[in-house]
Amino acid sequence: MTINTEKNGTALSVTLEGRLDTATSPQLDEALKASMPGITELVFDLEKLEYLSSAGLRVLLSAQKVMNKQGSMTVTNVNDTIMEIFEITGFSDILTIR
Amino acid sequence: MPRKSVREMSAQERKRHSLTARVRRAIVRGTVLLGIVALIIGLGLYSYALADKYVTEAFNLSRNAAAVLTQVTDVSPSVESVMRIYNNLSEKERAQQNTRAYWELFSDVRSRDDYKTIESVLADFRLANDVNDIYLAVYDKKTTALVYINAYNDTDVEYAYSAGTWETVGKREIDRFWSWDGSGKLYYISYTRDYGWLCTSGVPIRDGDGHIKAFVLADVTMTGVAAAIGRFLIEYLLAITVVAVLFGHLLTRHMQKNVSEPLNRIAGAAEKYVRDRRAGEDISDHFSRETLGITTGDEVENLSLVMADMERDINEFEESITRITAEKERISTELALATRIQADMLPNIFPAFPERTEFDIYAAMTPAKEVGGDFYDFFLVDDDHLGLVMADVSGKGVPAALFMMVSKILIKNYTMTGLAPAEVLRKANDQICKNNREQMFVTVWLGVLEISTGRLTAANAGHEYPAIMRAGRGFELYKDKHGFVMGGMEGMKYTEYVLTLHPGDKLFIYTDGVAEATDSDKNMFGLDRMLVALDGASGEAPRTVIEAVSGAIDDFVNEAAQFDDITMLCIEYTGAAEGNAYEDRKQTK
Repeated sequence: MTINTEKNGTALSVTLEGRLDTATSPQLDEALKASMPGITELVFDLEKLEYLSSAGLRVLLSAQKVMNKQGSMTVTNVNDTIMEIFEITGFSDILTIR
Repeated sequence: MPRKSVREMSAQERKRHSLTARVRRAIVRGTVLLGIVALIIGLGLYSYALADKYVTEAFNLSRNAAAVLTQVTDVSPSVESVMRIYNNLSEKERAQQNTRAYWELFSDVRSRDDYKTIESVLADFRLANDVNDIYLAVYDKKTTALVYINAYNDTDVEYAYSAGTWETVGKREIDRFWSWDGSGKLYYISYTRDYGWLCTSGVPIRDGDGHIKAFVLADVTMTGVAAAIGRFLIEYLLAITVVAVLFGHLLTRHMQKNVSEPLNRIAGAAEKYVRDRRAGEDISDHFSRETLGITTGDEVENLSLVMADMERDINEFEESITRITAEKERISTELALATRIQADMLPNIFPAFPERTEFDIYAAMTPAKEVGGDFYDFFLVDDDHLGLVMADVSGKGVPAALFMMVSKILIKNYTMTGLAPAEVLRKANDQICKNNREQMFVTVWLGVLEISTGRLTAANAGHEYPAIMRAGRGFELYKDKHGFVMGGMEGMKYTEYVLTLHPGDKLFIYTDGVAEATDSDKNMFGLDRMLVALDGASGEAPRTVIEAVSGAIDDFVNEAAQFDDITMLCIEYTGAAEGNAYEDRKQTK
């Protein structure tokens, strides 16, 4: 699991690579907690995300909830595997996917 | 062969390792070596001192004799007469010494008065001193010989040592005697067949002009030297032995008292420590200063202090281990209990409704840990309605299990009130969201089957697609309309759909643990393999269908540890009470 965060003013872009599962989700959780305060625009790039478990979904959901209060969150470059997970779990309804 | 532990060794084997014995051996070896070195040095010094005594004696004698001789007479005439005759002899004639003819050549000299004076003075000296001989002689450079003027004959040869007889001597001696400057002692030590080791010392006699005329020489046998050295050796060796033994004994005693005994006490304490621990005795100060009494103030005492520290640490460690183990045991007991409680929460007695012939149902949950977040549920809402639930809580273990309990109860309770599935999910979701600070969520598939008609009303909150099998055909995923997971966000609405089951149709619902079961190479089981496994058992009863999928997963993951909870439910609709399709089919087979 590789997490790349790039902060540009109040915009934060997070690129995920590998598997976001029970073992790696806490990493993302930590990273987000550290960089999210004051952010008004959060963008996830999931192009190279291979797998997303419920623990990973939970982190995305938390982020979405925080961003609902302080700005906007967008999920970009969603590949087919991840898209299917989003659709099955209904996350496609609550996330802004571009 | 494995090494014996110290505990298994006999006393003799242990002794082999005794420090004391080793030190004793080292001391004896060292003392003996030192003794030998000292002996060599001592012997040299002793021999020198002894020899010096003889040399001094011989030198003093010859000096005294020379002084007396010069006082009473002038030796020159006699010396010159003998030397004149000697020098006039040919080598061949000189070789005739010790014969009467040779002896007679010097009879004139011998009859001179001054010669007789010399003879008597020397004879007196010989008598008065413990000496081989005191004699007057000339070192003749030309013939490299010592020519006797007057000497004492103690041999069997009749004319030996008479005036004019001679003996070959080394050129070096001759040069030394002739060139003596008066300092030190003039001597040499030689070995003779007749007298053994002989010390010859002497002084020159000079005439009025200071020219050397002859030498007064004294021979002293050094017979006493060998005997004295022998005695010295014996006494010395005796002394060394006594010292070595005494020294070894004292040092060994010292070692024993300050090293071996304390070490043995520590070793004994260590053995006792092991024994006590095995026997479960609660003694905690095997190595303390009070118990061992070691106050040597050196490394040995250090060792005992370190051992005491170690014992304390081990005891503390053991206590904490015991505490942790007890805690772990308590937790694992509780978890085992929780596992049973959770399993009992799910309907798990099959056949579940033996009196209902319209459907056959089977379900199984295998948690990855002691307790899991997956659950299934089925219950009769009323005589004609059967509730079916398949759910998966995010995460695993105890947190998921707690969340699962709440979800299960909420869903069942709302369903039991007769609400439609979508409404049940909406209400349950709002309830769950109220106190969900941990932001857990649960995916739920909820269906209510109207038993009399086969009408299945269902709603899906972010859960896997159900798999449906129409009678006589294969299983396929039913891509139903998905809502958002439950617990994620308040106020979510869920869509409901209706599906009609015909006699012989089967519905298979499951959690993602099935598709995501992973082998050791990180390959996932996947939905395709699941469908293949399902089709392999499509004609069988629900229990067999689930066992087939379960078996296929086991074969696939092989040795790899189960990572996620795996839960499955299969229902076969056999039709309204009048016609039992399942039974019919079984008969026509």
